[in-house]
Amino acid sequence: MHEMSVAMEIARIAEQKLGAQASMLCTVAVEVGDDSGLEPSSLEFCLDVVFRTPPFTGAKPEILRRAGNVLQVAYLEIDDGCPDD
Amino acid sequence: MAVRTIEVRERVMARNDELAGGVRRRLADAGIVALNLVSSPGAGKTYLLEKTLAALGEELDIAVVTGDVQTQNDADRLARHTTRLVQAVVTGGACHLDALQVNTALDAIDLTRTRLLFIENVGNLVCPASWDLGELCKVVLFTVTEGEDKPLKYPKMFQNAKYAVLTKTDLLPYVPFDVALAKVNARAVNPALEFFEVSATNGSGMEAWFAFLRGLVASGATV
Ligand SMILES: Nc1nc2c(ncn2[C@@H]2O[C@H](COP(=O)(O)OP(=O)(O)O)[C@@H](O)[C@H]2O)c(=O)[nH]1
Ligand SMILES: [Mg+2]
Repeated sequence: MHEMSVAMEIARIAEQKLGAQASMLCTVAVEVGDDSGLEPSSLEFCLDVVFRTPPFTGAKPEILRRAGNVLQVAYLEIDDGCPDD
Repeated sequence: MAVRTIEVRERVMARNDELAGGVRRRLADAGIVALNLVSSPGAGKTYLLEKTLAALGEELDIAVVTGDVQTQNDADRLARHTTRLVQAVVTGGACHLDALQVNTALDAIDLTRTRLLFIENVGNLVCPASWDLGELCKVVLFTVTEGEDKPLKYPKMFQNAKYAVLTKTDLLPYVPFDVALAKVNARAVNPALEFFEVSATNGSGMEAWFAFLRGLVASGATV
């Protein structure tokens, strides 16, 4: 039931890491333990909404299911829009 | 396109836990014992606190922070039983209190004349289990009309609590509820759980609860 609070905290962490690059975020990967007390599909829905809101521009959530009670931001992917070299 | 990966590996609860650590230090410095009361809505948190304030409010210098999704009703109910300020936190939709809200609420409380702090959490047997508020321990209330199986259905709350209070025991003659089975279920998820059985309505078991609170405050156990 507290997936929205968790999604907003994840957005805060991402914004802190990325600063001005937040708008380039394309993937946010979160490890969610089976005993974390969170419903993964509900968290995914909330992340999807939160990461459409400025400064973000529609990053895709990726939920990585884990055993135990882990709940952490695993990694962020940013797309700088430049062609591959 | 060039996609770059940034490793983060940061616990989502890290910030709340840091703030909770700050609350814990603040309480320890002031010598305050803090209990975080959790339960489903209507299990009797506010009524138990009303009776506790009436009996021990002055003796143990009790202060209360109470959280609800909407309204200050509980704070108003509690204020009738104490001369102290009862600090209400309206979460505006959130299903739990967090450490930042408690830290802010403490600013309004005279900590120098407080020895026992109750935090009445938002009624919810799921979410408050995940948020450390800086309390000494969680006390989970559950009531005879909820059924004996609630500890099995909501294990995390019972695992994270140190004490369980079975409430509304005056209703036992009217509902099929097996107290022994409820305890077996609770101890299946948390063998160390200690039990109280109370009726705030007829006073049964309240002396044991009061004696426990007196002992806790006398022991000065703040962490
Ligand atoms: N019969 C009975 N009713 C109680 C008892 N404790 C609380 N109640 C009632 O249960 C309802 C919910 O209590 P309340 O304290 O508001 O629960 P909270 O939501 O956990 O704070 C109220 O109508 C109370 O009067 C009790 O010991 N016996
Ligand atoms: Mg209440």
